[in-house]
Amino acid sequence: MAVSPLILHPAGALQNARSVSSPLKNAASAQTSSNGTPLATQVVPNVAAAVQSTSLDLAEQLNEDEKRKYVKGKKLGEGTYANVYLGFLRSDPSQLVAIKKIKIQKEYTEGMAPDAVREIKHLQELSHPNIITLHSVFSSKDQNLNLVLEYLPLGDLEMLIHDTEHIRYGAADIKAWMGMLTRAIWFCHQNFVLHRDIKPNNLLIAADGEVKLADFGLARSFSDPYRLMTSNVITRWYRPPELLFGAQHYSGAVDVWSVGLVLAELVIRTPYIAGNSEIHQIQLICQAVGTPTEENWPGVTKLPDYTVDKEVVPLRGRDHYMALFGTLGAEGVDLLMKTLSLDPKKRIIARDMLKHDWWHKDPRPTRKQDLPKKSGGQAKVGDDLKRRPGVVDEEKGNKVARKLDFGATK
Amino acid sequence: MATEDARYRQSSQYRLWSFSPSHLQSLREKTSSLAVSHISNRLRASSPPVDPLPDFLTPADEAMLLNFYIVDLLRAAQFCDLPSEIQATAAIFFRRFYVTNSLMTYPPRALTMTCIFFACKAEGLYYRLQKFADKFPGITGEEVLAAEYVLCQGLRFAFDVRHPYRALEGAIMELRRLGDFDETRLARAHQRTRDILKFSPLLTDAYFHYTPSQIMFGALSMADEGLLQRLLRDAFSGQSESSKNQVLEMVQSCRAMLEKEPPERRTTYWDASASKETMKPLNKKLKKCRDPDRVDLVALQKARREQALQKTKAKVATKEDSDVFGASNGVNNGMSKEDEREAKRRRVAGGDMFGPPL
Repeated sequence: MAVSPLILHPAGALQNARSVSSPLKNAASAQTSSNGTPLATQVVPNVAAAVQSTSLDLAEQLNEDEKRKYVKGKKLGEGTYANVYLGFLRSDPSQLVAIKKIKIQKEYTEGMAPDAVREIKHLQELSHPNIITLHSVFSSKDQNLNLVLEYLPLGDLEMLIHDTEHIRYGAADIKAWMGMLTRAIWFCHQNFVLHRDIKPNNLLIAADGEVKLADFGLARSFSDPYRLMTSNVITRWYRPPELLFGAQHYSGAVDVWSVGLVLAELVIRTPYIAGNSEIHQIQLICQAVGTPTEENWPGVTKLPDYTVDKEVVPLRGRDHYMALFGTLGAEGVDLLMKTLSLDPKKRIIARDMLKHDWWHKDPRPTRKQDLPKKSGGQAKVGDDLKRRPGVVDEEKGNKVARKLDFGATK
Repeated sequence: MATEDARYRQSSQYRLWSFSPSHLQSLREKTSSLAVSHISNRLRASSPPVDPLPDFLTPADEAMLLNFYIVDLLRAAQFCDLPSEIQATAAIFFRRFYVTNSLMTYPPRALTMTCIFFACKAEGLYYRLQKFADKFPGITGEEVLAAEYVLCQGLRFAFDVRHPYRALEGAIMELRRLGDFDETRLARAHQRTRDILKFSPLLTDAYFHYTPSQIMFGALSMADEGLLQRLLRDAFSGQSESSKNQVLEMVQSCRAMLEKEPPERRTTYWDASASKETMKPLNKKLKKCRDPDRVDLVALQKARREQALQKTKAKVATKEDSDVFGASNGVNNGMSKEDEREAKRRRVAGGDMFGPPL
């Protein structure tokens, strides 16, 4: 069936930790302490006793087993949403992990935060070399969630793109990074998951140079045709026109647009379409790509929030892109243009991106161990992971739509 | 990773929530015996001590009651007009939770509500807590949330459930494409299979033992065996008879499981007096042997939160104190530079503890 032409699998103890057999297998033999019973001075019911109790149910035992596999080390970062710690495998201290401890959120009073639920849900299912690995989840006594994530010490793609003073890279490097990103997004779509927040600072870099897609706080499974989705997703600069026009039925094409803009940004080393409001974003798209009209995108005028300037900018031709992105070569520019198709139905899909000629043309993609890196260090890991999923640093002005349709649907 | 099968084996449903029948049975026995021993201790330790100890539910009793509450859960979910996938997710959450937790430990009625609410969340349908609680007289939002954390832990933080519904849509499209059957027959089989899938796998252990497509084929075989045979003939054309028979055997054993709870049982048994006669004594029994410390989940949750809060406060306080000492006596305080910076930063950004401004 669906075979990615470009997939390689890493081996290693931590990867193996996620074996296909059920960890419950060993649970039946686990022993409990029997000394947890409080002495005979309580009244029925006794909540305090239940809280203090050390006699564990099977579910609690399993959680303890999971927790005991890891040792939590020093704090790498602290935020309002989560704290991030360096950790390692108890059985093999050389295997590092990042432990993201999600804080109880006081401003959200409806139980477990939906972004945490989304992130855990999807990362539990997706196992791919270019997607951050969730090794485990456990809860601590104080009812905080702990996500044990792959330790990715080399920062993110945004750092490399914007550090124009110290970091130099070329077409071969761009091709290598884009290959990894494209495989990640192909895999998400193959598993019926929309990421909905692709941007350079969600692309983290492993010690060996591998790019890993992270932050699944806005992700969701493909919808059924009769169920609407919110259009208020994806950080504005990377948001495709159909979402800006309020479409509530959409596909993997939304992610592909973002991938295209990451490619453009890798070349020009600054965000390509950086609007300061949604209206402005649409105006900039019209200028950069062309004005969406019924001719180039049948049906677009019926989208709920369709508004464009009266002055129609014709679709930009190949020459326009060659002038800006010529370093990618003719094939690279062709791929870029196909990802930036206004009409999502005509936009290239992730699988076809992987089949594109560009990958086979010179220069060949750089081997990952030879890619330019920055020793961002541990501080940056903390920074990237502690963010609430789906938010960017506010001062940059490219705020994502954080609030999903809480309550809007029901 | 290449094939769909390989990808299914990466799913949490396979990794964490698929068992052989004997393994599942041993887990349930283990859960039950742990619950009995813990609850016995607690009852004996209570004042006045409970003596003699009550009769405890057997694993067989629990299995029956489990289904009683799942029917209840489905009724409530339908009352909220939830899509069938979400109803099914809620039911499977409930089934999974009670593999490693006993009905005697956590009150099932409360868990049905929590499962429905959390299934909505997990499936991306945002039901407002208050609106949800208002649907059910006598239930507060606090009660719905009280068991949410315990539920997540019981689910082993796996929130994705793979259902057979889309597989059915695919199979019907495939049958239409083959063109050997008239539309009336297909439409009837489609409807019947859907009805089966919305009920039978949720009241049996099918999700623990079979893949979504096996469950779909099992249900299709119940609805119209000829259609199943046609699909298999097509899928295995050019392959050995034995590989086809292997699949067929699996489908038949799944079918046998589903047939224990056909959708008709809902009206003829579960909604009828027949079930009440069996369930009433069981529920009475449950009332006597339930965990005395976990009857009131709201209070339990409050106590847990408070305990956590106190722990955090204590921690912050120690940090602040040592920071003060650190500032006055300099080097020898055993605190690293990093911790100091951290503590200072925390004070500057002190708003954290109370969240961002409204």
